[in-house]
Amino acid sequence: MIEFTNVGLRYGHGPEILRDLTFRIEPGSFHFLTGPSGSGKTSLLRLLLLSLRPSRGTLTMFGKNVSALNQDSLLDMRRHIGIVFQEFRLLDHLTTFENVALPLRVLGQPESMYRSNVTELLEWVGLGERMEALPPLLSGGEKQRAAIARAVIGRPDILLADEPTGNVDSELSLRLVRLFAELNKLGTTIILATHELSLLDAFDFPRMSLTDGQVKMNG
Amino acid sequence: MAEAVADIAPPAEARAKPAPKRNTAAIVPERSVAGRTLVLLIAIMTFLSGVTLGGVVLVQKSAIAWSSDVGRQVTIQIRPIEGEVMDSNIRTAISLAEATPGVTAAHAISLEDSEKLLEPWLGSGLDLAQLEIPRLIVVELGDPKDVDLSMLERDLKTIKGATLETHAAWRQQLNTMAATLVFSGVLVLLLIVLATVLAVVFATRGTMASNREIVDVLHFIGASNSFIAGEFQGRFLSLGFRGGIIGGLGAVLFFFLVAGAAGSIMPDQASAQLGFLFGRFSLGLDGIVGIAAVIPVLAALTAITSRLTVRRFLSQTSGL
Repeated sequence: MIEFTNVGLRYGHGPEILRDLTFRIEPGSFHFLTGPSGSGKTSLLRLLLLSLRPSRGTLTMFGKNVSALNQDSLLDMRRHIGIVFQEFRLLDHLTTFENVALPLRVLGQPESMYRSNVTELLEWVGLGERMEALPPLLSGGEKQRAAIARAVIGRPDILLADEPTGNVDSELSLRLVRLFAELNKLGTTIILATHELSLLDAFDFPRMSLTDGQVKMNG
Repeated sequence: MAEAVADIAPPAEARAKPAPKRNTAAIVPERSVAGRTLVLLIAIMTFLSGVTLGGVVLVQKSAIAWSSDVGRQVTIQIRPIEGEVMDSNIRTAISLAEATPGVTAAHAISLEDSEKLLEPWLGSGLDLAQLEIPRLIVVELGDPKDVDLSMLERDLKTIKGATLETHAAWRQQLNTMAATLVFSGVLVLLLIVLATVLAVVFATRGTMASNREIVDVLHFIGASNSFIAGEFQGRFLSLGFRGGIIGGLGAVLFFFLVAGAAGSIMPDQASAQLGFLFGRFSLGLDGIVGIAAVIPVLAALTAITSRLTVRRFLSQTSGL
């Protein structure tokens, strides 16, 4: 599903942030992405989200070389990828329901088509009672569940999570990762970036460790 | 699955609830666009465009009306010459004029009427019988194109002191002046449009910068640049219409107020003379329709400009 071959990444004329990345991620797998701050986790996730192109090497996703795709094809591919951020990135002027429904709305679907799906998903993540609430009124855990719901409402094949537990307490962190694990059981490929050792120890998923711009696969 | 959900979900009885019917909020919040400032700016631009357009319409209508009225009349002037009998010459000139093809009527301006015409310059109570002044004969034309004025001019050479005044030089000057004013008005309109485009470009860029988070989120969830541009365009179109309607109504109101003020400030006689010379200070239906047409034009211009600016902004910042 995802294959990196000697991939390097630099911003402008700066030094390489990621160097000679070569690894493969199978469909339906769950990987932790770890590494110290500044090691390039977010840059790697941005490559996987297709918001950056490799400076060199080959990144293949869904059987296609990303560098050779035009913008429309990249956009189509991006719709198969969901993303969850540490800082949630919900739109404060939209309700929880509207935030979660946003990926379907941008596809041009009418609300009558997705209303029941979004409601069901919000109830599944425990936000059935908070559908009309605006994000500033949600707790950290509720925001993150809304962000996860938004990431999965379009049934993505790959779900990327950038420090999704960074703004919640350790107990809720474990619950959220269990939620990701449930999504993984449904067939979604998950790459979850975290530097919380307690989480890595609590779950027996393979780890990709990034150090000095280079990746090492464990497990 | 059930286990994970139970971990984070509230009790089941609190969750069973049908999805309510709802009004979906706009993706680009209204308050995030520099709304009031832009509405005011577009209102001012529409007002200026409306006043300019109205002015052009008034000038053109007056010029056409004046030129048409003047074009349907020519004047024969007979200067007093010693040894010539004025009344006889006047009768001969009227006969010659009436015999010319295309002329519908000809009559001499009486001494009393001549007196009234000269009154503003020479004062009242003047006895023109004591003065030897030229006499005028007004010749009414049917269709000015069918009249053989050169024939009339030739015939009038038989009368000593008679000349034909066709007002051609006046009409030419008037048409040139009207065309210059219309051209200047169109130039001003173009400059207003250009200024509006520039203002909308700056407002859009400012709005995009302040809504960067929304744009990024839309990109992350798979929105195309076209979709994002459409969302911003819709917001700017709405602002453009609001500003346009305010400015357009202001311009129409301006013309009504000025027409009303002109009628009440000037005495009836002066107002009538001005009306005769320059036309009535009234827009008419075509002028109002013209100003109304400015509203959708400026709103559409605002929307298109914002869309192009957003597309350019997105292509510069999307990173792909």
